[in-house]
Amino acid sequence: MKTGKYDAVIVGGGISGLMAAIDLTRKGRRVAVVSKGDPICCLSTGCIDILKGVDSPRDGICDLPENHPYHLVGAGGLDRAAGLFVSVMKEAGLSYVGNVGQNRWILSPGGTRKQTALVPESMAHGNVEENETLVVIIFKGMKDFFPGYVTAKFQNADVYEFDPGNGSTLGIATKFDDPAFQEDFFKWFKSQKISKGKIALPAVLGTKPQVFGELAQKLDRKIFEIPTLPPSIPGLRMFKALKTCLQDAGADLYWGRSVESVEKDGDAIEAVTLAGIGRSTRIEARAFILATGSFVSGGLYARQDGVVKESVFDLPAYVPENRESWFGHNFFETGHGIEKAGIRVNGSFQPESTGIPNLFVCGSILAFSETMKYGCGHGMAIATGVTAAEKCEDHLA
Amino acid sequence: MIKTDVIIIGGGATGCGIARDLALRGIAHHLIEKGDFAAGATGACHGLLHSGGRYAVSDPEAAEECIRENMILRKIGEKCVEQTGGLFVRLAGDSRRYRDKFLESCDRVGIDTELLSGARALDLVPKLNPSLEEAVRVPDCSIDPFRLCMLNAITSKNRGGVFHRHHEVFEFIKEKGRLAGVRARDRFTGEIKDLRARVIINASGAWGKKIANLAGHDLPMNLSKGSLVITNHRLTNMVINRLRPPSNGDIIVPNEAVCLAGTTSISVDSPDNLVVGADEVDIVTREAGRMIPEFNSTRLIRAYTGVRPLLLAEKDATDDRSVSRGFRIINHQDGMYSILGGKLSTYRLMAEKMVDTVLKEVFDKTVACQTGDLPLEGQEFLSGYPLSTRLKDMKDIICECELVTRKDVESVIDRIGTKSIGDIQHRTRLGMGPCQGGFCTYRALGIIQEKGKITCDESMGALREFLQKRFRGIRPALWGDQLREEQLVEGIYLNIMNMEQQ
Ligand SMILES: Cc1cc2nc3c(=O)[nH]c(=O)nc-3n(C[C@H](O)[C@H](O)[C@H](O)COP(=O)(O)OP(=O)(O)OC[C@H]3O[C@@H](n4cnc5c(N)ncnc54)[C@H](O)[C@@H]3O)c2cc1C
Ligand SMILES: Cc1cc2nc3c(=O)[nH]c(=O)nc-3n(C[C@H](O)[C@H](O)[C@H](O)COP(=O)(O)OP(=O)(O)OC[C@H]3O[C@@H](n4cnc5c(N)ncnc54)[C@H](O)[C@@H]3O)c2cc1C
Repeated sequence: MKTGKYDAVIVGGGISGLMAAIDLTRKGRRVAVVSKGDPICCLSTGCIDILKGVDSPRDGICDLPENHPYHLVGAGGLDRAAGLFVSVMKEAGLSYVGNVGQNRWILSPGGTRKQTALVPESMAHGNVEENETLVVIIFKGMKDFFPGYVTAKFQNADVYEFDPGNGSTLGIATKFDDPAFQEDFFKWFKSQKISKGKIALPAVLGTKPQVFGELAQKLDRKIFEIPTLPPSIPGLRMFKALKTCLQDAGADLYWGRSVESVEKDGDAIEAVTLAGIGRSTRIEARAFILATGSFVSGGLYARQDGVVKESVFDLPAYVPENRESWFGHNFFETGHGIEKAGIRVNGSFQPESTGIPNLFVCGSILAFSETMKYGCGHGMAIATGVTAAEKCEDHLA
Repeated sequence: MIKTDVIIIGGGATGCGIARDLALRGIAHHLIEKGDFAAGATGACHGLLHSGGRYAVSDPEAAEECIRENMILRKIGEKCVEQTGGLFVRLAGDSRRYRDKFLESCDRVGIDTELLSGARALDLVPKLNPSLEEAVRVPDCSIDPFRLCMLNAITSKNRGGVFHRHHEVFEFIKEKGRLAGVRARDRFTGEIKDLRARVIINASGAWGKKIANLAGHDLPMNLSKGSLVITNHRLTNMVINRLRPPSNGDIIVPNEAVCLAGTTSISVDSPDNLVVGADEVDIVTREAGRMIPEFNSTRLIRAYTGVRPLLLAEKDATDDRSVSRGFRIINHQDGMYSILGGKLSTYRLMAEKMVDTVLKEVFDKTVACQTGDLPLEGQEFLSGYPLSTRLKDMKDIICECELVTRKDVESVIDRIGTKSIGDIQHRTRLGMGPCQGGFCTYRALGIIQEKGKITCDESMGALREFLQKRFRGIRPALWGDQLREEQLVEGIYLNIMNMEQQ
């Protein structure tokens, strides 16, 4: 059996767990992240939603129901977390624009507008008005993007088609990483006499962060990316940037591994053992952070009998009583009861009524976060991740 | 104005069966259906082609009809019937005396049975409850209701029959105290069509009363809904019934790659806007789980509900005769007939009796019925195409769960000129797998759009309608992996696409 010893181990490698880990490494802690698989941010638009339906998310969080996890973070905590995120991205060559005090809009692949707060530079021009002229460039054979949904919303929209020789989102994005391919695209672009107006493309402009900037400069036009259905290239860029930052800081990543068993010393967690094919690894730490996400990632599991289980430490999980109350009848109305399910924590992000002194919880696994209803997915994950890391640091110090 | 001999209202198995029968006897006809084929009870049933075993004890006449029709349908409809065979399993605590009665009654009506030990039954269906007492083998089959309707329609169309799908009858044309025709509205364009005929046949199943009311008649009937669930894979290759008097949740039917289990029986006021309750899902999974324990841990991909029309006392109807205990034909004496009740399994017989009746009473003719002798036309298109060959031809897969390609989708659009995602689903199985269209519908609608069949705005509307309908089907089965998948789909449409109610 292999072993490892750390100050803190983060279980769950989503945006929340990764941000918590980054925060701790910056304070000089020895950190490991264990993750069963790739997180939800890889499926997302890559934008940071903090709180929708308000002008200023930073001001809006105080009006949320009193058990919402944002209240444990506060406006100051939100500023620190967003600041850390933006600087980490910048170091990786991925600029984000926007601020926590002002929401903005981007164009969605359904032609609707989506409200969000921080957006990658490649979507900075995504706030187009319906009376503006829009140019959409599409890629032949790409099965997850249909321009019609978008152009229907504009009085003046022109569509141009480029043949990349590949129909998958990731396939096209990988081609754009190659300078020779970029050059082909550029030549085609020049030959098209493309009409005036902002230029929108599905988000496939390179898996590497610098590709967009290079292209934008070459084309010398206002261009922007429209996020696509999963898999999402902007989400992937963000995830890679977070992971690289951690590796550079010397953290250990146990990827593709999940926790098999937990050892305790009294109430405290002493170590976890990771399953793996033909090998298992025991890792000890002084503190643990649980960031395994909600149902989609498997941090929570809902049973037919109406019970919700937490999958790593078997913590007690809150869920509205009676399966019938989990979902309303309208798909388009968010705020289904089940969105409230999760782990309840105290002001130090420790799970309530368990008495475990060295465990902290963050991200979408937290009870009452209702990320869909409030449009606060990544914002809440980042804010609670960084704040939980701060509480963990207090414990370690 | 369209003129014809017979108007059929309803494109379920009964209506489509009548169209085929009329066609083979040379009578011109138009059929009007407000949805796609099989939009009613036909598409919401188990798809069990009964051996009759289920009714042998309680209703031997119906059982006899079932076994006769079963033998006919497996002969004429090879490509929509899977000859699975069926078992009636007796679990610990189920009456032995009922078993004896069951065997005796089957014997009397001519249903072949074979009594099997528990061990023998487990050889045939390894996932059965290992503690079962014994099982009786019967000639049950699985039948694809949608294909069945479509194939019946092909015979009709080959002989000049006309189908108006997605058209809703909303008014009758009356003349001199008689019903001279109907008015129907195209549900996509709103366009109104007037149709006239010598006789109108109301084959609208649970909607029968609504149609009769439009014509100014009453049709005393009660409605009972039954709910079913679908698993994400096939747990048995044979139909499994519980060996006891008919009750909740005692039928499991394999169909293509999945299994269907049901049902419940709850009285309702209207056949529209029904929901499946969490308690109904629990009843069905619990009962099915007694016969096949793995049912309890298997992922359900959908739940849905269908409505059975139950006819009330006969005295209120103007004229009715029980051609059979199983179904009834009512002459409203003003140019309309209603046909009600029965089962999917006996649809052909119902059609035969209905057409016999109008031929004699309206057209004053006798032409022999041929529907039981000739194979269903158009089966050559359903080439029981094996998955292995299909995989080789796969390019541009649009629906990953059911392996449907862009070409498949385009060819349906070209062939029938459809604007409806449901039409494509039924014909290709697009969106019928575990994600239930969560990923592929955006794509399929995009393709309809590209083909110029609908505007982009219409496709957004169609996408909304589809997502809501899909959600209704999935909602009762949301726990475990299906809940997880649902939240992912919510993320796509409500977050990335921001389609939330505004
Ligand atoms: C389709 C979709 C699109 C979205 N788009 C946006 C968007 O555009 N903007 C936005 O702000 N929000 C968006 N959201 C919401 C947002 O992505 C999530 O709320 C957020 O990413 C959750 O982050 P997390 O760190 O809490 O958990 P997750 O991202 O769920 O990460 C949890 C990690 O833990 C791992 N894990 C789980 N169990 C174990 C175990 N037992 N052992 C080890 N590891 C384990 C998982 O593999 C996973 O990597 C979207 C959500 C969805 C579903
Ligand atoms: C839960 C359940 C399970 C069942 N399982 C089985 C089984 O396994 N085997 C079996 O043999 N039988 C089964 N049955 C019975 C079987 O489903 C029905 O008897 C049979 O499908 C009835 O067919 P139909 O064509 O008469 O009615 P329907 O299929 O209901 O057709 C009526 C049609 O009329 C249309 N319509 C209604 N109003 C209008 C209008 N105004 N204008 C135009 N069209 C209109 C409807 O859209 C509908 O498509 C089951 C029934 C239920 C409810």
